[in-house]
Amino acid sequence: MYSWRRMRERLFKITVFGVAILALTPFFHLIIVVFINGLPTILEAGLEFFVGLPPTPLSRELGGIAPSLVGTFLMTMISLPITIVLGLFTAILVTEFPKSRISILVDTVAKSLSSVPTIAVSMAMFSLVVVLVNTIPELRAFLNPAGSALTGSLALVIIALPFSYTYFSTFLRSVPATYKEAAYSIGMSRWAVIVRVVIPVIKKSILVAVLMTMARIMGETAALLFTAGRYRSGLPASIISPVDAIPLLIFDYILSPFEVWHRVAWGATLILLLFYMLIFFVVKVVVKEVKLV
Amino acid sequence: MPKSKRDKLFFTSLIPFSISLLSMLLLLVSILFFNSIESLSAYGPSLFAKTVWDPENSVYGVLGPILGTIITSLISVSVSLVLSLSLAITIAEYLKGYLKKIVSSIVEFMGGLPTIIYAVWASEYLVPFLKNNVMKPLHTSLPFIPLFSCRPITGFSTFAAGVGLGISTVPYVASIILEAYENIPLIYREACYGIGATKYEAIKTLLSLTRPAIIAALILGFARSLGETTIVALTIGNSMTLTPCLFAPGYTVSALVASQFANAFLYQHAESVLYASMLVTTLISIILSLYASKLIIDWRSKVVV
Repeated sequence: MYSWRRMRERLFKITVFGVAILALTPFFHLIIVVFINGLPTILEAGLEFFVGLPPTPLSRELGGIAPSLVGTFLMTMISLPITIVLGLFTAILVTEFPKSRISILVDTVAKSLSSVPTIAVSMAMFSLVVVLVNTIPELRAFLNPAGSALTGSLALVIIALPFSYTYFSTFLRSVPATYKEAAYSIGMSRWAVIVRVVIPVIKKSILVAVLMTMARIMGETAALLFTAGRYRSGLPASIISPVDAIPLLIFDYILSPFEVWHRVAWGATLILLLFYMLIFFVVKVVVKEVKLV
Repeated sequence: MPKSKRDKLFFTSLIPFSISLLSMLLLLVSILFFNSIESLSAYGPSLFAKTVWDPENSVYGVLGPILGTIITSLISVSVSLVLSLSLAITIAEYLKGYLKKIVSSIVEFMGGLPTIIYAVWASEYLVPFLKNNVMKPLHTSLPFIPLFSCRPITGFSTFAAGVGLGISTVPYVASIILEAYENIPLIYREACYGIGATKYEAIKTLLSLTRPAIIAALILGFARSLGETTIVALTIGNSMTLTPCLFAPGYTVSALVASQFANAFLYQHAESVLYASMLVTTLISIILSLYASKLIIDWRSKVVV
């Protein structure tokens, strides 16, 4: 009896460990192969990879991914501030008035919104732009049915908003009630408590939320499929002209039959991975105690 | 706390921000709905009862992609259940100190990794690996089972897409399970060891306490797999045939949209059919994730408190 229990104990431990290692193997393998395949591309293309245009399918030159880099940068810069402001204030409302009907509704809506497939957002956004432009032709000055950085950014806001809201509300809730009570007891108003007490307490966590939202926005593919325009033969002229993004370039090139596009896709994948790694390490260094959701 | 006048002002001033979330959801679902009306009224329920994609003659049926979506998500959930449960137990029970921190950081890192990176890896490495090491052996040894009945030709298949999705959802599911598991009050653990349970027996008891949260994590993983586009679009092989075999190329709703939407405006009803199938997927996904988050909240108020 005793030995059986002991044996079962061993057996269980070995199995669990084995499967856990199996679970981690793909992750290590993935990181390694991205470096193995991406590094030669970037080294061979050199600086050109960051400033050049993508190659033609049969070209011998590797070219670069400048349009995608610019597009991703542009759309991140437009959508990130909007997402952060909307997400933060919505989270403040919900955490300050948790019993209010609106708060409960908002919380449910955020959960629903985060489960909407990102490609559905892309389709809906595309249709919205087409309908708006057809009914009000003046809107052509802002919305481009062929896709634009602005339309892409709006789609990204919808994707990233529930995400940043979840981060912000988790962090806001983590502020101990005693801090707030102390502030109220000396006669501070709600707004003052938020600005002078709550936000300073969680300012590092807010940075984490901003960075993780940024990572999310940068890596999003499906939301941009029908909204950004996938224009990669030159740099975008303005925020209403079609643009490309790094994930879109990878998506289109990796399944193409052309060797040179494959190599560019791997290089772009490595760039995206490095960006993400950078963000993640900053997050880890900035806050050791903040737990990610 | 009673609301003062200034509180009310504060509350009212925040409402526009929260309306933004609400209006986005309403806008999204209603756009999908209004675009679906055309095809729903033209084809009725038969749209979801057969598998055809013939834009030239405007004959459509999206049963294949919808079944494909469900099957890939089921494979994904099974893969991620096994992997993430072991991973969560290992992190919670067996790892300590630095190693625990490192492994949980890896899980966090992989959880936020852009899906396109998973997709590239899956299409270039996972698909050939599965084809040679899983699909071929299963097909040669068990060809009489309908699921394994077809010879894997390219490897791009429903099965490969499901496994790829499963691997990419492991960090997500594992982190939900881990959080629930570590939230179980200490007294339960103490009670287990107090009556002389071994570690395995204690884990078994604690896991049974966590079961509703694990089920919720799986439903959330399923909902996430339903709408995932990039990984599936690059691994499923895009084919509109309906077959019981998992090793044949297939389609999911999002892969269908990704490959057909750009040209759909050329054909009558095609765009609307895509909107209709996406509407169905979206609604299923929303309902499932709301149900799962309710499960977690209920479980927490029952067990954790």
